[in-house]
Amino acid sequence: MEPLTLALAKGRTAVDSLAMLENAGITFPNFHKDSRKLVFYSADQKIKMLYVKALDVTTYVEEGAADIGIVGRDNILEAGADVYELLDLQLGKCKFVVASMKDIDLTKRTSLKVASKYPVVAKQFFHKQGIQATTIKLNGSVELAPMIDMADCIVDIVETGTTIKENGLQIITDVEDISTRVVVNKASFATKTAEIQSFINSMKNSLEA
Amino acid sequence: MQLYHNIENDLVIDVNEIHHRQQVIQQLKKHFRLFGYREIHTSPFEAYDLYVQMNGTVNHEEMIKTIDNTGKALVLRPDITIPLTQQIASHNTSITEDLRYFYVLDVFRQKQGTEAQRYNTQAGIEYFGNPSPEADAEVVFLAIDTLKQMRFKNLKMELGHAGFFARLIDAMQLKEEDLQLLKQYIQAKNIPEIEQFLKRTSLNDDIQEVIMALPFLYGEPQVVLDRASELPLPKDAVPALDSLRAIYDNLKAYGVEKHVVIDLSLINHMDYYSDMIFQGFIENIGKPIVMGGRYDSLAAQFDSNIPASGFAYDLDTLVSHAAITSTETTQDVDVKIMYDGEKQQESVQLATKLRKSDFETVLYPKEHPLVQTPKAHETVYVTASGVKCIDASGEETRYTNAETYEATKEKE
Repeated sequence: MEPLTLALAKGRTAVDSLAMLENAGITFPNFHKDSRKLVFYSADQKIKMLYVKALDVTTYVEEGAADIGIVGRDNILEAGADVYELLDLQLGKCKFVVASMKDIDLTKRTSLKVASKYPVVAKQFFHKQGIQATTIKLNGSVELAPMIDMADCIVDIVETGTTIKENGLQIITDVEDISTRVVVNKASFATKTAEIQSFINSMKNSLEA
Repeated sequence: MQLYHNIENDLVIDVNEIHHRQQVIQQLKKHFRLFGYREIHTSPFEAYDLYVQMNGTVNHEEMIKTIDNTGKALVLRPDITIPLTQQIASHNTSITEDLRYFYVLDVFRQKQGTEAQRYNTQAGIEYFGNPSPEADAEVVFLAIDTLKQMRFKNLKMELGHAGFFARLIDAMQLKEEDLQLLKQYIQAKNIPEIEQFLKRTSLNDDIQEVIMALPFLYGEPQVVLDRASELPLPKDAVPALDSLRAIYDNLKAYGVEKHVVIDLSLINHMDYYSDMIFQGFIENIGKPIVMGGRYDSLAAQFDSNIPASGFAYDLDTLVSHAAITSTETTQDVDVKIMYDGEKQQESVQLATKLRKSDFETVLYPKEHPLVQTPKAHETVYVTASGVKCIDASGEETRYTNAETYEATKEKE
């Protein structure tokens, strides 16, 4: 039997995800997070893990280079990936919010300038509100944009909200909850149903334990 | 004149790629013909009005609009099923005749806000006039069998029912916005978000139970259909399960049941599907390679009653994953004739005869060759002293004249 390929997102939830995999009996003896290797095999050789950037996980899965991915919902939404999203691992819980310097009443605005690391998510949210949003894509320190008047507001991820407050911003509204998810390639689900379902079930059991 | 680089044209001069593509197309056409289908063609231009009147089919924003020089608004063919059905409906209010058509045509649609691919090629069939489960099974079988003929392995056909989900929608009476969201979650089998969604909305317990079960109604047909029957379904959703059971029983007669799974959460964004729908996957390709189903209600939009079903392959995906069937290098021609000046007429006649016998033939004067001549399986030198033929392995054969050489070719 060919091994299942799993794309695991590097970053803040990688360690917790691996712990959950270990609970489910899936261990990667050769893995340590500072390794330069990109491919690891599980102890039983049944799973081949690709250790990749969080932003790329859905790409690997959508293209079929990986059967399964473990990645944050923030990246799934931003990529607009056409994949199955089968399981919530309840890790890395946080949320997308709209934040700004002053209290803006979204119901009264018809157009807005939004800075975000997630322009797709931002645009979709404001579109649903009937607001024409111009998005500015930034790759970091998004809080700066409203402070220097480059944007009216930001759409960003918050866990505790400390960074937002420290920069004198306030949360205007919540957009969507985020946590780590298990995504599956649609063809893999169809052609390797038994293997995928057994993986999902062992993760589910590990989650409930 | 400024020349613009046209990226979309890069493939066209790759003769090996085109050769492979044509072979795939020939295989498809041949197989469709074996099932009694005949080729049709639809115009690349269609009236914009046709699509404006029809909701729930092609997303209006994805169509590529154009205006002709009389000012009439047109679209580039965004679909084939719709104009074909309209055409048949315009001549018949109902049909009893069995009509089978196939096509290999470009379809033009552009995803919103992207410069990505503006068209793709679809190869498909449409089967009008036969509403039976036997007809449905044959259509599904043909979709599977064509892929098997092309030696695709590990293929899976997911079979669902548009009417089943439509009856669930009727029972829920959701706002359009919520419905779109729920459809999106169901298509992604997004169980966590479906749970959240059901918590937010005040649907009755029965329908909640059914919706929650949808992502799990996937797999071995008998098992899935039995499990679905035990759910507290709206009464009018039950016939859909019976219909799928009947189609599956027929598919067993074709011996392809191992390729078929039931997926009751299958949704097609084309609202014209009324009954069974299906999509096929091959290993490692994340998007369906074929999609189709029964669309009895489409002709009703043109005031006719015509049962119909069909499917279409995404040809580009097929081509890029199909095994190369021919090993011959397509640049090589069969025969290259090099002649001495005074032998021109004789050589032209030889070339004509060879071409009549289906040999690809090119000819050149031996002196002053202006171009680098193509590779050939045989090079034939026509000179005053006779004809000399050198084959691909370098072996030389002499003939007294062009006729004696040509006589040996005729025997091949």
